[in-house]
Amino acid sequence: MGEFAFIVGPSGAGKSTIMRLLYREEKPAAGQVFIGGIDITRLDRNQVPLLRRRLGIVFQDYKLLPKQTVYDNVAYILRALGVDANEISKRVSSALCVVNLENKVDAYPGELSGGEQQRVGIARAIVNGPPVVLADEPTGNLDPVTSLEIVQLLEKISQRGTTVLISTHDQFIVNSLRRRVISLKQGKVVADVDSGIYEMEANSQGL
Amino acid sequence: MRQLRILAGVATETVQGLKQGGWSNWLVVSILAIALTIFGGVLQLTMTLKNVVSAWGSQLEISAYLKDGFDPRTVAKEVSQLPNVKLVEIVPKEVAWQEMQAAFKVAALNNPLPNTLHIQLNSVDSVERTAKSLRAINTIEHVRYPLTVAQNLNRFRHFIEAAGIAVTAALTAATLMVIGNTIQLVIQSRNREIEIQSLMGVNPWYIKGPLVLQGIIYGVVSAILATSVIWATDTYIDCYVTGQLIGFMPLIQSNLGYGMLPTFIVLLLLGATVGASGSAWTSGRFIKI
Repeated sequence: MGEFAFIVGPSGAGKSTIMRLLYREEKPAAGQVFIGGIDITRLDRNQVPLLRRRLGIVFQDYKLLPKQTVYDNVAYILRALGVDANEISKRVSSALCVVNLENKVDAYPGELSGGEQQRVGIARAIVNGPPVVLADEPTGNLDPVTSLEIVQLLEKISQRGTTVLISTHDQFIVNSLRRRVISLKQGKVVADVDSGIYEMEANSQGL
Repeated sequence: MRQLRILAGVATETVQGLKQGGWSNWLVVSILAIALTIFGGVLQLTMTLKNVVSAWGSQLEISAYLKDGFDPRTVAKEVSQLPNVKLVEIVPKEVAWQEMQAAFKVAALNNPLPNTLHIQLNSVDSVERTAKSLRAINTIEHVRYPLTVAQNLNRFRHFIEAAGIAVTAALTAATLMVIGNTIQLVIQSRNREIEIQSLMGVNPWYIKGPLVLQGIIYGVVSAILATSVIWATDTYIDCYVTGQLIGFMPLIQSNLGYGMLPTFIVLLLLGATVGASGSAWTSGRFIKI
């Protein structure tokens, strides 16, 4: 079972910045960022794609290719890596099975609901078998019920051995799952609690 | 095998990029084709002129009039030793006089004509040098050659070359800018897609490769169009020009045109290079991964 944690905090606390630092979309002005024992702030620019392929990334706005089908969106990175078509088919089917979208392979993103699009985003994030999945506000555009489904899906992925880190300010889903909660305020970690909850007013205490 | 699959992926992305390019593809191809047509036309013209000048040189004769009392065969032997001399023909003064009498019905006089040598050269460039050498031979009284036409032809060829290079350079610069702008439009229209590819960990060359390939395709299509235009023009005017030249220089060979294949290869390489470099420069400038 992989680690599963929320990063919480009010808007501007630095949740998304931490995520962007982890996938090297940003470089810190000072300090280091370690992933798997490697300081990724020192990676050459040409090593960044390799880092990102070792991380599955899920975005608030899904970031799907609008002119490609569900299948092609999920298969994209595998094709870019020159993976054999049979292998691609196997891995894409498996990823879509995890997110329960096997019957939507030929649909385009515009034909899907927000929750379904986010499921496609999750399938794309896990298709290459990354050890870590980063989800940056994955429920920010979704209703509470769908949000909970998405987070439960990410929890299921974590139970298969993948570390999952979710940034969110959604109190309902954090408190529903009672998992590790890392609280941020003004760019600093103010609390790190196993089986924690997220109290908006008291987030400086992390509880 | 994996590399082949990646190349196939790059090719697919290129086709999609071309589809998204729409009418702007044809704008780039048209401008590049015009530039290449001018360059190819100039190339074709200068190389053909070079052939004509060379053929003219082979037809060009220097007439050397000998002093009286010297054996023309001895002088001819000496002249034939000079560099670039292809053929020396002896015209004895008796023969020349008989021909003149037949042609002009001149009065019965003592033969005033000298023994003459008609000297053919390998190239028009060596005419003046050879004439100078002939003048230095003390058995030769006078040297004459119709150089003006050949010199003018050569000057015209050099002018065409210089003008062609200048026009082609200007058009190439314009083409690079148009290709750059077109690729920039493609990049802007695919900005989100490129961002997603980058975040997924797609290699930068897999993102930029299709754009460079798109530039190469522009170059190749333009080269084909330019060669077609030049070929059609060449075929249309070839008979006329050759006919005029044969009238002007009866012994000239009829096949003076510069071959289309070398022109096509040059245009293909130039077009592909301009297309690739314009795209590579723009994608390097506007895609930050």
